[in-house]
Amino acid sequence: MVEQRDPAVKLDRGFWIVTAVLAVLSICGIIFWYAVPLQHWLPESAQPADQVDALFAFMAATSTALFVFVCGYILYFSIAFRARSTDAPDAIGVQIHDNHKLEFWWALIPALFVILLSVLSVKIWWGIQIAQPNNGMVLEAIGHQWFYTFRYPNVKGEVPDEMHLALGVPVTLHVTSSDVIHSFWVPTMRLKADMVPGLINTIRFTPSAVGTYKIICTEFCGTQHGEMNKQTVVIQSKADFDKWYQATQAAHANMSDALATVSTGAINLAGGDAAAGQQLFSQKCSACHAVGPFSQRIVGPGLKGVLDDPAHPNLVDGDKATPADVAKILQNGFKGDLGVMPNQAQNGLSDKDIANLVAYLASLK
Amino acid sequence: MTVAAVHGGGIADHIHPEPQSFIRRYIFSIDHKIIGIQYIITGFVFLVLSGMLAELIRVQLMHANGGLVSNDTYNEIYSVHGSAMVWLVIIPLVTGGFGNFVMPLQIGARDVAFPWLNMLSFWMFPVAGLMLFSSFLIGAPVAGWTEYPPMSLQAGPGTSMWCAAIFLIGVSSTLTGINFLVTILKMRAPGMTFTRMPLFVWAQLATAPLSMVATTALAAALAALFIERQFGVPFYDPTKGGSPILWQHMFWFYSHPAVYIMILPAFGIISEVLPTFSRKPIFGYKMIAFSSVAIALAGFMVWAHHMFTSGLAPFLQLPFMILTFVIGVPTGIKIFSWMATLWGGKIHFTSSMLFAIGFLALFTFGGITGILLAAVPFDFHVHGTYFVVAHFHYVLVGGSLMGIFAGTYYWFPKMTGRLMNEFWGRLHFWLFFIGFNGTFLPMHWLGILGMPRRVPVYDPQFQGWNQFESIMSFVMTLGILIFFANLLVSIRNGKKGGANPWNARTLEWQIPSPPHYYNFKNIPAVYALPYDFSEPLPYTGLENELTDSPAPATAGAH
Ligand code: HEC
Ligand SMILES: [Cu+2]
Ligand SMILES: [Cu+2]
Repeated sequence: MVEQRDPAVKLDRGFWIVTAVLAVLSICGIIFWYAVPLQHWLPESAQPADQVDALFAFMAATSTALFVFVCGYILYFSIAFRARSTDAPDAIGVQIHDNHKLEFWWALIPALFVILLSVLSVKIWWGIQIAQPNNGMVLEAIGHQWFYTFRYPNVKGEVPDEMHLALGVPVTLHVTSSDVIHSFWVPTMRLKADMVPGLINTIRFTPSAVGTYKIICTEFCGTQHGEMNKQTVVIQSKADFDKWYQATQAAHANMSDALATVSTGAINLAGGDAAAGQQLFSQKCSACHAVGPFSQRIVGPGLKGVLDDPAHPNLVDGDKATPADVAKILQNGFKGDLGVMPNQAQNGLSDKDIANLVAYLASLK
Repeated sequence: MTVAAVHGGGIADHIHPEPQSFIRRYIFSIDHKIIGIQYIITGFVFLVLSGMLAELIRVQLMHANGGLVSNDTYNEIYSVHGSAMVWLVIIPLVTGGFGNFVMPLQIGARDVAFPWLNMLSFWMFPVAGLMLFSSFLIGAPVAGWTEYPPMSLQAGPGTSMWCAAIFLIGVSSTLTGINFLVTILKMRAPGMTFTRMPLFVWAQLATAPLSMVATTALAAALAALFIERQFGVPFYDPTKGGSPILWQHMFWFYSHPAVYIMILPAFGIISEVLPTFSRKPIFGYKMIAFSSVAIALAGFMVWAHHMFTSGLAPFLQLPFMILTFVIGVPTGIKIFSWMATLWGGKIHFTSSMLFAIGFLALFTFGGITGILLAAVPFDFHVHGTYFVVAHFHYVLVGGSLMGIFAGTYYWFPKMTGRLMNEFWGRLHFWLFFIGFNGTFLPMHWLGILGMPRRVPVYDPQFQGWNQFESIMSFVMTLGILIFFANLLVSIRNGKKGGANPWNARTLEWQIPSPPHYYNFKNIPAVYALPYDFSEPLPYTGLENELTDSPAPATAGAH
């Protein structure tokens, strides 16, 4: 091969003009991301959110600058170096192969970006994972198909619907799941933790703005995953929170605090309270079961007349529909052609709850 | 098994007679060119099928409360859409398809190292595809292409079918990896040293070990999921002592490198198309070649960046974050080198070149959002949202699929002897490019503002943008329909292209289109890189290729 020397690279005026234009555009982009931070579109409601937003602003600004230059040059080169009809058909471009100096310098651009980004990310990671106060209120959030429940210190049982928090009081939130993987995401807090059955994940933060904020599930968890965005975090002043806390404590005084487990042996159904059962049903069952005929499916079958339906003398497990057999399904769960009926522990039911539910179901005719 | 003759240090002329029956020529062929085309046709069929699923998704999302299909059906649709696009479209097209057709020609070989194995690999592919799509009949998988347990343990029987189908396509991809690796290492024409290999060959060389090593982890994970589902052995079920996180580690140990299985060959395609249509040597050949290898190696050490929110020990998050950032460096070098290839060129805007240039912009964008996602604090916010959906569609559609389109316009004349129509090709590009950005760009802010992925219904505040996206997705689909129409018409009616319509310099263009069964009359000798447009072609031994001189003698069957 003929030893070939690369021709010298000459950058003309056009190149420098374009470079100047791109620099101006980049600066505009950078100014935009700092002038209109994420907070402008999505409010912040907890303390590390501001740090996440700072990181986002930095990344959005630098990558906008980078992207503007890449696209700008591509566009400019494409236009400036297009083949023209006046060119000879076999015209070729400038035969340069490489330019080690140039390559060294431009390898430095992404390298510098990566180093800066690493330093900043580690710093903010430290703020989120390590430097959060450790002495806060310890709460638990539990994911279920398809709702969340919450546990508070010295409040018996689980709190449904809303998660109440006190402004300015640090929180250590442990999350887990009773069935499949869910996720706990409050966009205004910029925080998220997956709720994995058998595992406890932790996030720590300090509520920073009074208000009601959405909790959204971001891990696919079954049929109604998309509807698992209805519950909220309610951030209140310390005084309001205390009021709510005391009321809840009192209301839950008679609940069992034991974590639900699957009881061994048959469940005693005597003294079931249909009214209490009805309330439980609306909390824990109505996501999957309608109060309607067997054929009215949500996930599981409709349960109106389960114990008294001539068209369906047997339950899904093949046994004859008796209160004891319904209780057995509630206790052990059941996996059949229709899907998975969670067991007693997954549904968070005490033996008493089951007795109440069976009494309620028996009352549906 | 027939090993296409590999003797001594090079390649001996040892040619089997061309099969005459239709079945052995076009169905159960062992010719890498036919197999490559079979892969491409099959991949395009699956592209149409899973593209139809994508449009069902977009129609469902026209309204915040859905309405086209039930939640469960929707979940089946996007799960099969994702699985099919990854395993039945992108991976087979860039490796089995273009890899098979182009790579042996570019290294001056008569076939791949193991032609029978190649045929076997191919035939696993449509079988796996049929299995995956037939799972709709028995209740398709619902938990997305990632199929996290415990969800995937509870879903209907179609999920077991999914395991079997993906396992099969995984075996096919592993075998292709072995085949290509041996072919590239042992069967290059004399004189084609590593630093004289075309960059598409480098890309396949970097990809092959990824397919071999990573896919084995996937196979193990799938086998365990299948066994747990069918026989109750608890690998993943936490109530029985299993670990759902185990699946995530195994799955991503495969699926992150799989991203590079899907993108590195597309890099290779771009690195061929850009110099040809700029009439300039590729800038920084060595940097591009070695950065492919660097990316492939580093790609094995970053998988847990998909698991920052799922319970990775906090201190483990740091190395995965920083290593992922580091991959940005070789990727950046590549992008700069491609840009510099355009500088000072004589650029011809063929359809192929338009897709290559579009690729540069969109892949850069998807690469940058990937870096954003790797930053743990930001990932805490956007993990599991539409931001992620946007990111990987920029990489896989804006990157890999655009590369596939560039490659199709580029090598179609080599496969058929005819050119595709340029007018319709350009129209395809513009519709696709505009429709694609319209569909996926808004997903970034939807994700940041609170739209989770994998939902059949969503918060009504996002409905406007979703409708816009759906409409733009129809524009993109129109572009693809034009592409297929162009492809089908051009096979019969395209303008004749001759051996080398693009004046390209790699070896495949120096022989007739379509090439003869035995590829080369004489195996050429190579004495330089192919990209010097000012030099004579760096090959000897090609004098008879385009003349009527007789075909080389064939050896008898054995
Ligand atoms: C995650 C969804 C889900 C939840 C929550 C759920 N179930 Fe079920 N349930 C099912 C499914 C699915 C079946 C049918 C299982 C099968 O046969 O495949 C079922 C079956 C049943 C049956 C048997 C019906 C029959 O006709 O045989 C009863 C009784 C029942 N559930 C009661 C309840 C009660 C009471 C609750 C509330 C504590 C509840 N379920 C909560 C999904 C659920
Ligand atoms: Cu969910
Ligand atoms: Cu990854």
